[in-house]
Amino acid sequence: MAMKYLDKYPKDTAKGLWVVKPMWTVMKLFAKVIPRRSMTIMYPYEKEWIPDNYRGRPGLQFDKCVGCGLCARMCPTACICLVETTDDEGKKVKRPQVNLGRCMMCGYCAEYCPVDAMTVTPEIELAEYTREDLIYGPRRLRFEGVNEMMEVHIEEHLISNVQKGILDQPTSAFEVDRPVLEEAKCIGCQKCFKVCPVGAIEMYEAGVNEKGKPKKIPRIDTDKCICCKNCVDDCPKSCLHIKEVL
Amino acid sequence: MMPEPEIKLDSMNTDRMTVIMGPQHPFSHGLWTLKVEVDGEIVTDAEPIIGYLHRGWEKECENRTYPKIIPMADRLCYSASMTWSHIYCMTVEKALDVDIPDKAKYLRIVADEICRIQSHLMWLAAVGTDLGNLTVFLWAMREREFFLDLNVRLCGARMTTNYPRIGGVRNDTTEYFDRDCMRCVERFEKRLWDIIALVDDSSVFVSRMQGISRLTREQVANLGVTGPAMRGCGVDFDIRRDDPYDGYDEMDFEVPVLKEGDTYARYMVRIEEMFQSCEIIRQAMKKIQDMPRSAPYRLKVPSAVPEGTHFARLEDPRGESLMYLISDGTDKPYRLKVRSPIFVNVSAAKPMVQGCRIADVPAVMAMVDMCLGETDR
Ligand code: SF4
Ligand code: SF4
Repeated sequence: MAMKYLDKYPKDTAKGLWVVKPMWTVMKLFAKVIPRRSMTIMYPYEKEWIPDNYRGRPGLQFDKCVGCGLCARMCPTACICLVETTDDEGKKVKRPQVNLGRCMMCGYCAEYCPVDAMTVTPEIELAEYTREDLIYGPRRLRFEGVNEMMEVHIEEHLISNVQKGILDQPTSAFEVDRPVLEEAKCIGCQKCFKVCPVGAIEMYEAGVNEKGKPKKIPRIDTDKCICCKNCVDDCPKSCLHIKEVL
Repeated sequence: MMPEPEIKLDSMNTDRMTVIMGPQHPFSHGLWTLKVEVDGEIVTDAEPIIGYLHRGWEKECENRTYPKIIPMADRLCYSASMTWSHIYCMTVEKALDVDIPDKAKYLRIVADEICRIQSHLMWLAAVGTDLGNLTVFLWAMREREFFLDLNVRLCGARMTTNYPRIGGVRNDTTEYFDRDCMRCVERFEKRLWDIIALVDDSSVFVSRMQGISRLTREQVANLGVTGPAMRGCGVDFDIRRDDPYDGYDEMDFEVPVLKEGDTYARYMVRIEEMFQSCEIIRQAMKKIQDMPRSAPYRLKVPSAVPEGTHFARLEDPRGESLMYLISDGTDKPYRLKVRSPIFVNVSAAKPMVQGCRIADVPAVMAMVDMCLGETDR
């Protein structure tokens, strides 16, 4: 390897420069540059091409979203909150609403969405007249023409797999991490059952509590679970915790 | 050109005056103040005043989980966003004791060097305007645009990349990234010569930089100056070569070092660094292309970091940056300390501008490549 610039340029150039040399350089560069095509565009009339993976505002696929709230918890600026709304069949559901005035376009909401409902979109022209207009409700977040490139997937490899030499099984926390229950602590309040967005928890009769009343404890369907950690956060006795597979 | 007459400070009998340059001043790229004391036209004393942009970054981190800090680390410096999030991830990886896959290492190198080139171009543009040559500004910004477009192809954002992740990188290269990257680097190497000709063949430029603000090796070492400013003073040290991290030991590149120690040497070191970065990008891209498409690039890491203190350092475009992490076993850091290269470099302002003429102060301080986001945090 050699230096490309330092070898070529003498270090005492200033002494050898007199007024004709700079003029000559400028004329040479002028002749070289003038045939090149223009680098600027007439912005509002012409627009630059933006690739699909561009991280503009977040977009939501309303029907795919399950209302788990992981995007709201992952957002570094806390600009997402879940709001009650009705879906096409009139059922009450929870969907994210984004305050774009605070959004920093980091793309975490798209990346950490377990069902790929949240996407990044190439939409960048977001100016509005009032701050309220910057709050995008779940319906307004929809983006026409969502494609594969806009969904950000997490493709992680388990450290244990890499050590064993298995390199072709990408996975993610949503596929392998599951909550586990400490049965002794559970009081059967059913909060986790109510809060699970995908209905992966069912309550079953398991003996009696200390007062002699029948007690129900949750059973977690590991296939349905998407590891959104809602049950872990809502458990009043902290008897659920996520078991991380590494 | 006539040789510079020697400047004797005592012989001139003029009134001392204090000039406050900044916080809003064309030469201060960002919000900071240089309080210079002048004796006639000669600077006798200088004191940098910083802190206008303090936003409590380090404290903010203490109530965020580890992944949420990565986009914040991007915002420490907008033109070196990739290296800042890289060093944050490196620190946490050290704490977790994970070894990231090879592909992630090379992808990080590519992104790092793209970041270095675009940061140096941003600096070149700033130097151009500081020294009164708008063409250099426009051309450097034009070339920079191509590297920002490469960033978009790679990770979807122009400047705040948010690309590295704890345990790897966000995504694999997208379609056509290899092709675009090679083309862009090749084209840039040709076009950079145009800008060099514009600067180096212009006696206006060169005479304002050559022989001004000389620092010696000893001074640089005592002041803790790092980065191109240090290498321009004859200290042969680059963390990429001397304490290699994340696959830099497999790259073959030269570290430009000049003995002059003046402003012009700092300029030359940065220009050569851009050429070397192009070379590194080429080598790293070659290694990525040789790997199968399905090679792992991201590891699944635990969310809680075991108790301990760790630090990592890397070669930022501006110098040596370091992050020091104290973790307490939870999923949030107990303390995260940032060592910003500019914070240290700007404290050397006094020896740098002492004895210069006041008109040379912008030229000298432009070589520090100020970035207030990381200095004040
Ligand atoms: S993470 Fe995805 S599924 Fe969950 S609420 Fe957000 S958009 Fe809906
Ligand atoms: S892009 Fe980032 S800041 Fe914006 S809503 Fe999504 S997670 Fe929040």
